[in-house]
Parts: sequence; C-alpha cells; structure tokens
Amino acid sequence: MFESDRDAEGVRIELRALTKHYPGRPAPAVDNVTMDIPAGELVVFVGPSGCGKTTTMKMINRLVEPTSGEIRIGGRDVLSLNPDELRRHIGYAIQQVGLFPHLTVAQNIGLVPKLLGWPQPRIAARVEELLALVHLEPSDFHDRYPRQLSGGQQQRVGVARALAADPPVMLMDEPFGATDPITREHLQNEFVRLQKQLRKTIIFVTHDFEEAIKLGDRIAVLREGSHIAQYDTPAAILDRPADDYVAGFIGQDATLKRLALLRVTDVPATEPLPDPRLPQIAADASLREALDLMLAHGTDKCSSTAGVLSYATLCAAVGNRSREELVAGDR
Amino acid sequence: MTADTAPTETVPTEKTVPAETLPLAPVRRVPLGARHLITPAAVAAALIALYMWVGTLELDSIEQRSLNRAVILAKTVEHLQMTLAATALVVLIAIPLGVVASRARNRLIAPVILTLGNLGQAVPCIGLLVLCTFLMGVGFQTALVGLVAYAVLPVLRNTMVGVQQVDPALIEAARGMGMTRGQILRRVELKLAVPAILAGLRTALVLTVGVATLGAFVAAGGFGELIINGLKLNRMPVTIVGGVLTACVAFFIDWLGSLAENLLKPRGI
Repeated sequence: MFESDRDAEGVRIELRALTKHYPGRPAPAVDNVTMDIPAGELVVFVGPSGCGKTTTMKMINRLVEPTSGEIRIGGRDVLSLNPDELRRHIGYAIQQVGLFPHLTVAQNIGLVPKLLGWPQPRIAARVEELLALVHLEPSDFHDRYPRQLSGGQQQRVGVARALAADPPVMLMDEPFGATDPITREHLQNEFVRLQKQLRKTIIFVTHDFEEAIKLGDRIAVLREGSHIAQYDTPAAILDRPADDYVAGFIGQDATLKRLALLRVTDVPATEPLPDPRLPQIAADASLREALDLMLAHGTDKCSSTAGVLSYATLCAAVGNRSREELVAGDR
Repeated sequence: MTADTAPTETVPTEKTVPAETLPLAPVRRVPLGARHLITPAAVAAALIALYMWVGTLELDSIEQRSLNRAVILAKTVEHLQMTLAATALVVLIAIPLGVVASRARNRLIAPVILTLGNLGQAVPCIGLLVLCTFLMGVGFQTALVGLVAYAVLPVLRNTMVGVQQVDPALIEAARGMGMTRGQILRRVELKLAVPAILAGLRTALVLTVGVATLGAFVAAGGFGELIINGLKLNRMPVTIVGGVLTACVAFFIDWLGSLAENLLKPRGI
C-alpha cells in the first residue's frame, strides 16, 4: 500500500556563509552559517527560542531572503530561482498546520499539485495515496473539512500536504509542537516510519531535544545567531558534547538518552536463549525500556526473544566508547 | 543509525484512524426552514394590509394621481434601479479599496481610505446631494453619487477586516506552498473574507434602500417622491404608502441578503 516507485529521494542541501541581518538590529539573526545536509537525511535544528533556527530554515525556501551567502539544493543555486516556483518543489509543514478551512482535506492536499498543473486524475490518485500513507482512511477523510478533524489528524493532513508534489526536500517547523504528548509521540513514531520509506532530505526545527534525538539522523545544536555549537549524530552528541552549552541542552540524563537510542537487538545477549522466568521485554524495545523493566522488578536481568540481557551489558553499551563510535557511524 | 533505532512502535499502531474519532459536525448550509420564511410572510402581510387600507379610503384626484398602479410600479422600478446600481458601484469601489487598505505595505494609505469612507457616511447625504446638484445637475446619476458615498463604508470596512483577520499561519502556509500573492489573495484571503464582505454588503443594501428616498430631492424618482409629494400636498395616505413600501423593500432585500450569505459562504467555515 505504501510503496510508490515515483517518490523522489532527497537531494543534498548546502548552505554557504548564509547571513540574515534585519535592518535596524545590532546583530544578525543568522550569522555566517555554513552547513552541509546530506541527501536523504533528516537534520534537526535545535536551539532556544530566538536563536535563528527558524530563520535559517526559512531562508532555504526563501520565505526569508538572505542578506548574503549561498544556498544550493541538489547543486542548484536557490537564489537564482523564482521563489514561488522554488517553494512548490519544497515541502513545508508548520506548527499551526495552516490547513485552509474552506477547502476539503483532498483539496488541501492537492493544492500544490494543482499549482504545478498536474492533470486532475493524477492529483486525485496522489491524494488517495497520501491519505493512506499518513493512515487516514481516504474514503472517510477525503471530503472532510479541516474543522472536522482532531489536532493529530490535521497534522497528518499537513504532512501529507507537504509531501503532495513529492518534493525531494522538506522543511518542517515544529510540526508536532502543538499536539498533546500522546499524539505527538504517535506522530513522531509514524514520521520516523515514513521517513525510512521516503528518504527525503528534511530539515526539522524544534526546541525539544528529546524530539531531536528521536527523529534526527543528525542534530545541529544552534546558539544565538544560528551559530552551530555542534553538528553530529545524536549518539555522538550525547556521548561527547562539544561544550557546556550543548551539555546543558542535553540535560542531566545523557546516558539514559543514549540507552534510548539503542535496541535490545543492538547489543549481544548474555545468553542466547530466552529465559521465561525473567521479566520479558520486546526485541525491538530500547535499552532504556529494558533498564526500566529491570529497575521495576529489582532484577539485573531481563529476557527477550533474542536472549537474556544483563545490567552489565547495558553498562558496556554506553561505557565502551569505541563501541559507541561504531554505532555512531562516520561523521 | 539513529533512524533505524528510533521507532518504538510498542503500541500497536492504529492502522487507520477510526472515523468515529470526531462526530461529523454539520458543514451543510442552513436549509430554508420556517425561520427563513418569517420575513417574506411579514412583508406580504404588510403589503396586503396597506392595499386593503388604501382601498377603504375615498381618494381625491390628487391622491389618485399618485396612488395608482402605474405610478407605484414606476416608483418601485426607479427605487430598485437606484439601489441596485448604487450597490453595484459600491462593490466595484469598496472591495478593491478594502483590499488595498488591508495590505500591510499600505499602512500609510489605509487611514486615508478609511477616513474617506467615514466621511462619506458622516456627511449628511442630503447635503452631499445638493452639492452634487451644483456640479452635475439633477437626475439619476447625481443620486447615485450620494448613495455610493453613503454605502461605501460598511463594505469597505468589512472587506478590510475580513481580509486582515485571516489567520497569519494560513498565509504563511500558502506562501510556503508556493502560491503567488495574487493566488493567496484570490484563493485564500478573499474566500475567507466572504462572510464578512457579504455582511457588509447586506448592511449597505439596506442603508441604500432607505437613503434612496432622498433621490426624490434630485428628481431621481423612487418612493421618496411619494413621501415628499404627500408631505408637500398634505396627503397623508400618499406619504404612508411611500414609507411603508420603502420599509417593505428594505426588509425584503435584507432577507435576500441573508439567503445570499447562507448560500455563498464557503463551506467548511
């Protein structure tokens, strides 16, 4: 149901000495940012409010015009293109969703394809496909108006709309920020699943470090003026924060967060055979959940279908740097 | 690696969100119920009562000259022509001006436009008509100028407010999707401002029906002529017929306006 051959995979984004200086302000909002976003990766910009992360993102689809610098998407110089035409080829999702209340779900999703002049049958087929992709029953949701949807459903439609014209690049500005924790968790999980399938190049802005760890292939921790404090994989940032600023962002439980990044199946089992007498954990659960289970049962072991997992294994998983670097991959 | 380890789909993911999550709130247009028939029924009753009352009167020759089918029909046509022509001009003038005044980059012009609109309504219409008579002579066109000046404000202000109150997040989403400014205006802002604009237009129409009676002063005809003649010649029935007919037309047009609002309001909002 979800496979579609024509889905375009992501392309590389390059930012070169990108600067935005609003007139009348003493310091630039975005100061000389140079960054490479590899094709098909999800890069999270994380930083405090007002650090310029959203401005940096909005320069990529030119909702904000850069003062100076260069942006290339798939090798093409973005600043030489027509901004409206450019934006039709970049998916865009925002926290407020911004579904048009006077248009049905189908019309909202089909809007960019329509702007691009797709023939009607192709738009209709694409809308059906996307509704299925974001787990909304097409026959049921097709003709609804946005106000007949819950917040989570609206956000799914928002994501579907951003994906509509199959853009290689997507920009997402705290898309799950306004939803309740349960819905957010759910949307995040689905989004991870979606991105695994689609492999778009995505820039995802958030101020929630947990979300960044959960979603990001890489995280760019930004400080004032959009200066990059650290740009690395979540595991590497948790393991070796570049400075106190980054460490402050991670918080006190960096080790627990690193455990959360690892699956039960990622570490060698102490004994290869499952032990039915021990507390049971799912094979695809995280090590953090395994630790939680052990603490709850007062044991130092638990068992999954993959074998028995011990507390010592957990310590080894986060204590052994050389192992961690293996997991983190090359930077 | 992170993308491979991140999903924690421990909860059995609901495959499709059930339809029952939200009741299908009605997005239907309000049907033409009994509530909507009150106004035309009342107007019809008033007209019948008026007709019967006039029928009981002994009309003298002066009254007969005004209160006959041909004259009343002519006055009705003149009155409606004035009203509709003025409203059409108001739509052409006030909606574009309202859009211009609503744009952020026109922050300096907006107060000027609004002041002109306010002035049009604040200046006594009869005075304006007299001034216009000096410039243009008497007649239909002179009456139109006065009426338009008077009725621009509600449409202008409602267009401006209607466009401005569109959620900025929608505009940002629209821009982010690659809609041009013109497309955003036509497909988003004006569409969402339709209820406000229609409400303004309805007000303008009702105002115009009333003020069009002043057209009689500049020889533009209409029900005003009946009212003025009745007063001048001290023939109460003539004045009353003119007044009641004006009120009936105003109510009827207001009713049509309410139907139009229901019908033209974009679904979903």
